[in-house]
Amino acid sequence: MQGPEVQLFVTCLVDALAPEVGRATLDALEKAGCEVAFPVDQACCGQPAFNVGLVEDARKMAAHTLDVLDDTEGTVVIPSGSCTVMIAHHYRELFADTDREEQAKRVSTRARELTQFLVDDLQTSARARCDDCAIAYHYSCHGLRELGLDHQADTLLQDTTRARLDGDRECCGFGGLFAIEMPAVSTAIMDDKLDRIEASGADTVVGGDVSCLVHIAGGLRRRGSEIEVKHIAELIGDAT
Amino acid sequence: MDRDSFLTRVGRASLTSQLPDSVSLSVDLPELPPADLLVLFRSRSQTVSAVVHGPVTRHGVPRAVSGIATGHDASSFMAWDDLPAPGVPSALQAVGMDRVDHVVPSERRIEHNLGYRDVGVGVTGAEAALAESGSVVLAHGEGRPRMASLVPDVHIALVELDRLERTLAHWARKNPTLVTETTNLVLITGPSRTGDIEQQLNLGVHGPRHVHIVMIK
Amino acid sequence: MTQPVTFLGRAEALIGTHEADAVDSGARNFLDLRAKSVEELPALEDLRDRARAIRLHALRHLDRLLAHFADQMQAAGGHVHWAEDAADARQIAADILDRTQSRRVVKSKSMVSEEIELNAHLEALGLDVTETDLGEFIAQLAGDTPSHIIAPVLHMTREDIGRLFADKLGVPYTDDPFELNRIARAHLREVFLRADAGISGVNTAVADSGSIVLVTNEGNGRLITTAPRVHIALMGMERIVSRWEDAAVVLETLARSATGQRLSVYTNVITGPRREQDPDGPEEVHVIVVDNGRSRILAGETAEILACIRCGACLNACPVFRTAGGHAYGSVYSGPFGSIVTPGLHGMDPWWDLPFASTLCGACEEVCPVRIQIPKMLLQLRQQAASEGRLPGWLQAGIARYARITVDPSRWARAKKWASRLSGLISTGRWIRRMPGPARGWTSSRDLPRPAKESFNDWWRANRGS
Repeated sequence: MQGPEVQLFVTCLVDALAPEVGRATLDALEKAGCEVAFPVDQACCGQPAFNVGLVEDARKMAAHTLDVLDDTEGTVVIPSGSCTVMIAHHYRELFADTDREEQAKRVSTRARELTQFLVDDLQTSARARCDDCAIAYHYSCHGLRELGLDHQADTLLQDTTRARLDGDRECCGFGGLFAIEMPAVSTAIMDDKLDRIEASGADTVVGGDVSCLVHIAGGLRRRGSEIEVKHIAELIGDAT
Repeated sequence: MDRDSFLTRVGRASLTSQLPDSVSLSVDLPELPPADLLVLFRSRSQTVSAVVHGPVTRHGVPRAVSGIATGHDASSFMAWDDLPAPGVPSALQAVGMDRVDHVVPSERRIEHNLGYRDVGVGVTGAEAALAESGSVVLAHGEGRPRMASLVPDVHIALVELDRLERTLAHWARKNPTLVTETTNLVLITGPSRTGDIEQQLNLGVHGPRHVHIVMIK
Repeated sequence: MTQPVTFLGRAEALIGTHEADAVDSGARNFLDLRAKSVEELPALEDLRDRARAIRLHALRHLDRLLAHFADQMQAAGGHVHWAEDAADARQIAADILDRTQSRRVVKSKSMVSEEIELNAHLEALGLDVTETDLGEFIAQLAGDTPSHIIAPVLHMTREDIGRLFADKLGVPYTDDPFELNRIARAHLREVFLRADAGISGVNTAVADSGSIVLVTNEGNGRLITTAPRVHIALMGMERIVSRWEDAAVVLETLARSATGQRLSVYTNVITGPRREQDPDGPEEVHVIVVDNGRSRILAGETAEILACIRCGACLNACPVFRTAGGHAYGSVYSGPFGSIVTPGLHGMDPWWDLPFASTLCGACEEVCPVRIQIPKMLLQLRQQAASEGRLPGWLQAGIARYARITVDPSRWARAKKWASRLSGLISTGRWIRRMPGPARGWTSSRDLPRPAKESFNDWWRANRGS
C-alpha cells in the first residue's frame, strides 16, 4: 500500500538529545502507511533566535530550513507543536516582502505537527500503548493555543489509563531560553507543575514537545522521582 | 497643554499607528435563550444578595416599604420626591421614622453631609431593572437625590414591572439618550461589597449593606 | 531600600514569599470565577469580537472622539483639561484644588493617579489625601503599593491588616474580616462626608454623550463623586468609546473578566456637575485627559495595547505573574499588560527586560476580553530590545554561533559529536547535574540529559542510507 509521501523534520532537540523520539516518529508514520523522507541537511527551525528577538539569526536558520524542506513537495511532519508553529505561522512574517516570500508560504502550508497529521489528516486507527501506565498528559502551550492541539492526543491515548492532571493546560515554565535567562522564575513555575504531576498519581508523563519534556524530566530527576517521561510518539511507534 | 496641541499630537500618532483590523461593529444584540424575566430577575438578584419583593399593587407599596424598614429597625429615612407609588414617606413617618432633608445647600455643604452619617433607609424609584444581572437603573435629577441609594444602611428601590428588561445592552439600545438627560445615571447590582481582605466577601463597605427591590404591578 | 533594577532581581526576592503565594492563590481564584462566569454566555466569542471592534474603532478615531467628548462634557457644564505628561497632570489637579480651596481630598481607585504619582505631590503641598478603595486605603496606611490591579492587598493577611489598623487607627486588635470592614467603613464615612474634593479614575468615557463611567463594588466611587463640592476625574486618553451602547458591551465584559461578576455593584455614569434643580452632586466636575506617553504607544507597533479595559484577567492567567507577584514588574502596571505598556510609556530604560519576563505561553491572549495579541507584541518588543543591543553578550554571541553552526550540516554534525563527548567529561551517567557558564541556570534546579552518542541524523545515515 502506497501511502502519502512525507518529509520528517525531527527538530534540533530530538536530533541531539532524544533521537529515540525521532525513531518512534518514523516508525509511527511508516506504520500508518507513509513513505518517509528525511532531508539530512536539516537542523533547527530558528525558534530559539526568533523568541529572543534576534531576527537576523532566526532568518538565517529559517532560510536554510526552507531550502532543505523545499526540495520535495511532501507534507512536513514535525514531532513538536512549537516548531510547527514557527514554520507554519512565523516563517511567513519573517520573509514577508522578501524574495523568499513565496517559498515561505509554500513550505509553511505543508507543515503539520505529528498528532494533527496522524489524527486529523490521516484519521489513523493507530493508538498509543502503555501497559500498566497511569498517564498524565501535558498539553504544550504553543501547540495547544496556536494549533488547537488537544483532541488529537486525547484520541491517540484513548486506550490508555489517564491520571487527572490539575493544570494540564498550564505552562511548564520552560519558555525556551527563558529557562536560563530567568532561571528562578522558570524553576518556580516548574515546581508547581511537578507538584501537580506528583499529586496526580501518574507514573508516566506524556507530551508532544521534547522541549517541555526535557525540562519536566530534568526536574523530576532532580527530585529523585521515578515518574517516567515520554513523548507521545514513543507510545505509538517503536523507538528501537 | 492646550486642547489643539494635545489633539494634534494624537492625530499625528494615528497616522503611523499599527492597529490591527477588526470585524465591523455588529448591530445585533446577542441571542439569548428565552426566559421569564421576573423569575430570572429574582434569581440573579439573589446571587448578588439583593432581595426582590412583590409584585405588589401601587396601593400596597407603602405597607411593603414600612414593613421592610421596620424589619431593619431604622429611625430615619431619605426618599425621592417622585416615587412610582404615593404615600411612602407618610407611611414611614407613621411608624416613627424621621425624614432627612436631602437638598444639599451650596454653603454649609459639609455640615449638611455630616447629617447623613446615620440614615437608616433610602427609598428611590428606578428607570429600569435588568433581569440578567439583578440590577436596577437609577436616573438622578430634580427631587431625586443620589445620596438616597448611597449613604443609608438600607436601600429600597421601587420598580414598575413593565420596566423590567433583559440585559444592560437591551436597555441601552432602547434608551440611548437617557445618559444626557441626567447628570448621574447609576446601575446598582446588589449591596456594596468588597473582597479586599483575604478575598473574603463582605457586604456594606461604604454603600448600603441591604438592597430591597419592590416590584410594582 | 532600593529595588533591584531588573525583573529577575525583583522576582528572585519575591518568589516563594508569603506575598507571592497569596498572589498566586488570589489570581487563580479570580481565574476560576471568570471561567464560571463566561461559561454561561451563549456567545462569548461574539462578545469579545464586539468589545475588540469597539475599542479598536475608538483608537483609530481617537482625536475625533476626544474632541466630541470634550464638547459634550463642556455643554453639560463640566470642564475638560489636557495633560501632556505626569507633571502637567499633577499641576492641573493641584491648581483646581488650590482655586477651590480644597484641603481634604478623597480618592477612589485610579491607576492613572498612581502612574502620575499624584498623592505624593498633593501631600507635599500640604493637602490631606485619603484613598477610599478598601484595599488602596489599607495599602496607603501601610505605606505600601498595590500588588494586583483588582485586588490591591492580595499580598496581606488578615493578621497583617489587624495589626495595621490597631497601630494606625488606634482601634483594639482584631483579625476578623467582618470587624475590620466595619472599622474601615466607620472611619471612612467621616472622611467622605467631610471631604472638599474627590479624585477618581475613569473606566470609560462616552464620546456621544460627554459622559464618564466609573465602576466600583464598594460604593466609594459614588461617594467621592457625590459628597464633595469638587470632582476631578483622571482619564487615560485611550479610555473612551463612541456610544452609550458600546459602553454597555465593555461594561459587561469587564466585570466578568475581572471577578466573574455579571456587573460590578455600582456603575456610575456622570455627565457634568449638579444641575440647578439637582438636590445633590458636585458643583464642579473636571476631567483631566492624560497622555503621558500614550500617543507614543499609539504611534507605534504596540498601539493595540491601548485597547485594554483593565480587567486584570491577563495577570491572573500568567504563570510568571502568579509566581513572582505584581511588585516584580517594578512599576504601576504589572503582568502581561504591564510588560508592554511600561516600556511603551516610559521607554526601554530600564524596562527593556519586562517583555522577556514571559514564556510566551499565550494564556493571556486566551482570556483577554478584547483579544489583544499580547504574545505578538512581546515578541516585537524583544526584537526592539535585541536591535538596540540590550541582550546580554553571552546570549547574543551564543545564538549567533548556533545559527552559523546549524546552517552548515557538517558543522552541525561535528558540534553534536563534540557536545556528546564533552558531556562525558562532566557526567558519568545519562544525566548532567552541573553545567558551567550561563547554562548553570538550567542545572541549578534540573538535570539535563547528555547529548546522544548517536544523533538521529547519524542513525538515519547508518540505517537508512543518505
